Amino acid sequence: MTTLSPARAVASRALFPPFVTAGLLLFLVIIASLLYGAGPVSPSDAFMVLAGSGSEEARFVVSELRLPRTIIGLVTGLALGLAGALLQSMTRNPLAEPGLLGVSAGSGFAVALAILFGASTATLTSFVAQLGALAGCALVIAATRVQGLGNDPVRLILAGATLTGLLLALTSMLMLMDQRAADEIRFWITGSIAGKPLSMLQATLPSILVALVLTIIVARPLAAMALGEKAAVGLGHHPGRIRFLIVLTVALLVGSATALAGPLIFVGLVVPFIARAFAGPDIRKTLWLCVPVGPAVVLAADVVSRLIAAPAELSLGVVTALIGAPVLLAIVRAGRMPSL
Amino acid sequence: MPDKRTTLANSSLLVLLLLAVITSLSMGTVQVSPPDVLQALMGNADPMTAFVVNELRLSRVVAGLLSGAALAMAGCLMQTLARNRLATPGIIGIDNAATAFAVASVVGVGLSLAPSAMALAGAACATAIAFGLAGANGTRGYRFIVAGIGIGAIAGAVTQVMLSRVAIDAANAAYPWTVGSLNARSGNSVLVLAIGLAAGYGILMLISRALNTLQFSDAVAIALGTRLKATRILGLALSVLLTGLAVSVCGPVGLVALLAPELARTLCRPGKVPLTASALAGAAFMVVADLLGRTLFSPLEIPVGIITAIVGSPYLLWILLKPSRRSLT
Repeated sequence: MTTLSPARAVASRALFPPFVTAGLLLFLVIIASLLYGAGPVSPSDAFMVLAGSGSEEARFVVSELRLPRTIIGLVTGLALGLAGALLQSMTRNPLAEPGLLGVSAGSGFAVALAILFGASTATLTSFVAQLGALAGCALVIAATRVQGLGNDPVRLILAGATLTGLLLALTSMLMLMDQRAADEIRFWITGSIAGKPLSMLQATLPSILVALVLTIIVARPLAAMALGEKAAVGLGHHPGRIRFLIVLTVALLVGSATALAGPLIFVGLVVPFIARAFAGPDIRKTLWLCVPVGPAVVLAADVVSRLIAAPAELSLGVVTALIGAPVLLAIVRAGRMPSL
Repeated sequence: MPDKRTTLANSSLLVLLLLAVITSLSMGTVQVSPPDVLQALMGNADPMTAFVVNELRLSRVVAGLLSGAALAMAGCLMQTLARNRLATPGIIGIDNAATAFAVASVVGVGLSLAPSAMALAGAACATAIAFGLAGANGTRGYRFIVAGIGIGAIAGAVTQVMLSRVAIDAANAAYPWTVGSLNARSGNSVLVLAIGLAAGYGILMLISRALNTLQFSDAVAIALGTRLKATRILGLALSVLLTGLAVSVCGPVGLVALLAPELARTLCRPGKVPLTASALAGAAFMVVADLLGRTLFSPLEIPVGIITAIVGSPYLLWILLKPSRRSLT
């Protein structure tokens, strides 16, 4: 397993331009996220702060409100993008998205349940969210093992949509049971990265780091599995073990993202869709490209959510749904559905 | 001519529906015995009982009955047109779009009409878009359904946008309705629904022969003298009409449109489109679901849409997950 084989060198050359472009875009979006807001602090005021001067109020808004929000958006986007790419590659289904398949809803339901029973610390919430995501993932995998369903992306998506509906109904029922919890859940469930303290991030950071390491470990075997189960075994990999690791990784990523931002649907669909378009079928390249693309998509959606209804704000989940649903339609329109 | 089996199915569903209605009228915070309910309906009960039954409960039960029947008939119709039992208004996102438009009317967005009209407009838009995106396939094929899922997601997001922009009280008032509830019904919408349902049922009975032939391939249907295009357009228009009107009364109550025709198809003779049986089953399902929602956690009331989702989703999952004969080969 030499790391500098000729094939690898060619691969990284092809990856270079889109990666740099996406990186530049991400940088621009980060700046925009710091400059623009729904509140009265104007872009030029915020720019003064970035340049090192600026009024007290502007400095507070930029460094205490917009900076944490931007960082949380970065992490959420990274996690959801990678999770989507991994899940799609493993299930060979371009529509397999954590939000659509019910993983996010499972995570959301678990958190709603925890809030109802009085959980309020960030650590507990993110742990519960990960447990919920794990249960959701396990269901998805069980579903893909069902005879015939693995090769039928649409039926899988429909099953996921149904599961999501069921979990949402149960969550609504929990909300009706307890008014206090309902207020807390209602804000959280539409998906938002506004006003989240950085302590939330600290609670989820360890699991995200573990997930990133796991992603690096599974990337190569996953690329081999794209050639088929037998080829992967022939190359010395253990598909069963790899699949288990991927499920674990996806659960960690989606759970963390859900704990941070609530259940955001469609991010895990849009990001790998864009990344695949530029990186081609190699999952390793797709994963690399997801690193700048994921955060850029989430932050761009967040900036839109602040500006579109100013001085009020939309929830981020609404904006990602508005961006993501057309992408879903585009994938279906393209008519090359079972191509992974 | 209705055959024996269909008559039997219809009459047993009718009995079931009557039982459900009477139970629903008798149960609640104030218990009324079933004989008293009958007395009250015929107009010779004591004023208190008469008030509870006729004034408080009857209008709600009638609203549930009508909207359940309309949704189930729309579902049965669409399944027949699409030749796909998963193609129901809820799954295709028509419910959600109708809700988005009706919410626009409720929360008072600039240019708007009465909720019924707006819900109809929304349902029509969603259907048109789903058709456009499905391309030449029409209602056949899965593309139509996935397009519908996307449209449903967009409509749901738009509903949330509108709810998040109005005052918190208005949003709270509209919230139960967006998950499907009989609480927010207005007398007018129910009346419009009743008229639409009667008209729709009449037309459907007239074209029922043509609908039956739609179950065969196009060539066979044409050979049997069916005007395919006209039947499809009329059928689709009617299912949009029924869905829109039902949604304006009860919100997007999911899965009634899937479960009721499914039950009706099991009971009735195969080969015919069981419209009447679907309508009866849908009405009974809705009335029972609302009864459960009202009484299960009383005094807390669970919106009927949540009950149908919790009851219906496992069944839909089972349909989707069980290995079909086709894929086992």
